[in-house]
Amino acid sequence: MALLEITGLVKQFGGLQALGGVDFHIDEGEIVSVIGPNGAGKTTFFNVISGMFPPDEGEIIFDDRDVAGLTPDQITRRGIARTFQNVRLFPNMTILENVMVAQHSRTSKGVFAALFQTPGFRKEEALIRERARDVLGFFGTRLTGYRFDQPAFTLSYANRRRLEIARAMGTEPRLLLLDEPTAGMNPSETAELTGLITKLRDERGFTIVVIEHEMKVVRDVSDRVVVLDHGVQIAQGTYDEVSTNEDVIEAYLGRPAESR
Amino acid sequence: MTAPTTAPTTAPTTLPAVDGAKALRVGAIAGVTAIFIAAIGMVEVFDDHSVIDPLLSLGYLSIAWIPLLFGYRATHQLVLEGMEPPKTGAHNLISGALTGAFGGAMLGGFALLVDTVDVREILINVTPRLIEILAFGQSAAVGALILIALGGAIGALGGAFHLMSNHWRRAVSSAFLWILIVGFLELVLGNVFKGFGVGFLNDVVYSESRGITTGAAVVIGVAVVAMHFGFAGSAAAVRERFLSLPEAKRRSTGFIVAVTLMAVGMVVPSVFGPFLNEVLATVGLFMLMALGLNIVVGYAGLLDLGYVAFFAVGAYTMAVFSSPLTPGDFTPEMAFYSALPFVIIMATIAGIIVGTPVIRMRGDYLAIVTLAFGEIARLVFQADWLKGMFGGAQGILRIGWSEAVGKSTIVTMFGYVLVAVGGVVGLIGFLRWRSARADDDASSAKKAGIWIGLGTTAAVIGLLFPDFASWTVTGIDSEAVFRLVLVFVALAAFISWRLQDSRIGRAWMAMREDEQVAETMGINVVTAKLLAFIIGAILAALGGALFAVKIGTIFPSSFKIVQSIIILVVVIVGGMGSLRGVAVGALVLIGVLGGPTQPGMLREFQEFKLLIYGVLLVYMMLQRPEGLIPSARRSRELHGDELKQDVWLDKDGEEEV
Repeated sequence: MALLEITGLVKQFGGLQALGGVDFHIDEGEIVSVIGPNGAGKTTFFNVISGMFPPDEGEIIFDDRDVAGLTPDQITRRGIARTFQNVRLFPNMTILENVMVAQHSRTSKGVFAALFQTPGFRKEEALIRERARDVLGFFGTRLTGYRFDQPAFTLSYANRRRLEIARAMGTEPRLLLLDEPTAGMNPSETAELTGLITKLRDERGFTIVVIEHEMKVVRDVSDRVVVLDHGVQIAQGTYDEVSTNEDVIEAYLGRPAESR
Repeated sequence: MTAPTTAPTTAPTTLPAVDGAKALRVGAIAGVTAIFIAAIGMVEVFDDHSVIDPLLSLGYLSIAWIPLLFGYRATHQLVLEGMEPPKTGAHNLISGALTGAFGGAMLGGFALLVDTVDVREILINVTPRLIEILAFGQSAAVGALILIALGGAIGALGGAFHLMSNHWRRAVSSAFLWILIVGFLELVLGNVFKGFGVGFLNDVVYSESRGITTGAAVVIGVAVVAMHFGFAGSAAAVRERFLSLPEAKRRSTGFIVAVTLMAVGMVVPSVFGPFLNEVLATVGLFMLMALGLNIVVGYAGLLDLGYVAFFAVGAYTMAVFSSPLTPGDFTPEMAFYSALPFVIIMATIAGIIVGTPVIRMRGDYLAIVTLAFGEIARLVFQADWLKGMFGGAQGILRIGWSEAVGKSTIVTMFGYVLVAVGGVVGLIGFLRWRSARADDDASSAKKAGIWIGLGTTAAVIGLLFPDFASWTVTGIDSEAVFRLVLVFVALAAFISWRLQDSRIGRAWMAMREDEQVAETMGINVVTAKLLAFIIGAILAALGGALFAVKIGTIFPSSFKIVQSIIILVVVIVGGMGSLRGVAVGALVLIGVLGGPTQPGMLREFQEFKLLIYGVLLVYMMLQRPEGLIPSARRSRELHGDELKQDVWLDKDGEEEV
């Protein structure tokens, strides 16, 4: 049974068809890469799944329920979390707070509990803190080496990317959507992150969809690769199948001149 | 002063030449500023109030700062990291003097002009008295020469600031500042001296015309400079130590300081006169509302320009529920505290009404719509349509009227206070007991039992003797009003403080930083926004209710847009999102300048208040957008060394917690 099953997903911006009927599925515990040339609709695909844009048509069945058209916070509550292509942390909040805030939908204490600091409130705060530390601990010394109450903007670029993943993990999702996690990283950082993505699945049990341009990363992490072009899926399969697929090569490099 | 710096720094060994064109340009701006201040009548109105008797009156001060500041700015250069600091020398002095003299010449020329040509038709404030002041009692021509000379001298002094080391510069500026502060606090300190039986100090420090004596000014100046060198860096060290404390420790220290200040605030009004207490009561009211607005603007990042609407809702609800003279048939004539729950309910409704339509708006659009809501609220209360309810333009009289006292009153019965406190203590005890039982923790359960017992006992005693002691505050007794307002301010500060570091507070912060991302992190922005609006509305409405009973009469004209703006200025100048900042902002701004209609400590500022608020707002936005006392979060942003990421990168991997 697929964890996420998408059929006929359509999203139009005015006359531009960003997604033209995408079918997609991912099983529990799978890592699927979504690749495609620039403007293929990869990020829109993520935006629609995570509820930032409602789809025009199509079904998004997550965990047996249709989540199409729900608001982003409802979708996060159901168990889908994402990162952003251009890192979007809460820069003035501390590292710890960035992860703590992600647990908003997993916790419930309101104004009155906070005002009177009821035992339940304190327990929940302690739990939030502990979970946040646990999530940050996943990145080894990378994030714990810093004082947790440094504002996030003091982090280096690579660490911001890591913190963004940590924040997504903080929402306790079942499905993680990673939007170009290695963009802008140097080769050694990229290699480290590649290992990390696999570790996310093996140790934490996340199902992962990753948008990636770096083919080396795609090859190393993916169980399956889905190729989008002009808002439609043009190929899918293992890395080797896809990388030799005529349509994919054409989408990336264009058609050879003599075959015209 | 905004002109780009053109001073050449090609040859590092020779001093840069005096940039005459720039000095004149800055001087011209200084001259225009001085003429403006003179022509709107500030100089004349302020002349009766001396700052340092007999050397300097507030009137002269209102133009004397201009050559000082502009003389300094004339050769001021922004030094960025890695740049060689500009050479200082005689050119700083000369440029400053040139700037000041040119500004003085323009003002002198203006005085000469208005002395010969009568311009009172247009500039109504240019009186003969003003010309006399500007000419220092001489003929206009001599006066102009004096102005040029003085302008040059003060301008040179401004330029001389460049020659001082940082340390000296700071010492001298704070000496000036302290002389001014002590001068302005004449009313406060005078009362304090009298109250503590050292009234003779009054005659030593202050002259008859409200300023400080020259001797006192010298003593203060020398003392401040001496302090600066005696305790060099110790203030910074204390601050550094405070900032380096762990978050929780910092909070509890802050809490203790706040409680101490509160206790002082409760005691101090006894030694103040009625006028000062009136000012303090106004400060308290605005502090309460500013704390409320701080939640909306500072925490949740929703720029609400119509905050006065909630203030009006609170005032009108209190009026309708408590006045025997309501225009309609609905006249419950409740006491203040009985009407308070209705105020809170109405504020909640108002918060939802304003909040719901603006949920999907951001930034400028939100500001515009809330601005409109502020005006709508006033017009609704003014409308003939609802005259039967709110009395239209005639307003509502005798709010919180007590037949027995014959005044608007607030009676606090300590029996009920006991019931309320006992109830809260009992509730907390019960919750602790429940969680202790769940954890099988016998000793905690026992402690919780004590809480429950104490709470119940207090509540029972309160119920048995509801009026064993009572505190009657009449609206005109500003000393008591201030104390009452202070209690509400404490409540607001407590609410803000507790919410700041909770799940809700973090959600607001995230929403302020990036709404879209906050939503994908599972925060329901609709609820979070509405909650911010509602809590802000309740605090403003409490302010409105207190205001209504304090004044006893309200009219729709009490709720103008300028009220919203002034509260916003308090929040921005104080420091958005910072409790201390907002408190200090209210104390300084409202205390010195006063509210939109209420006077502040410097009564002379009354007519120029809005001008000063406006100038202050623009200045703060340009130079110090984080406010006077920024929140710890924002001040951390300004710690330059933390921005050097490479420092952190080098430590990567070594540092483990």
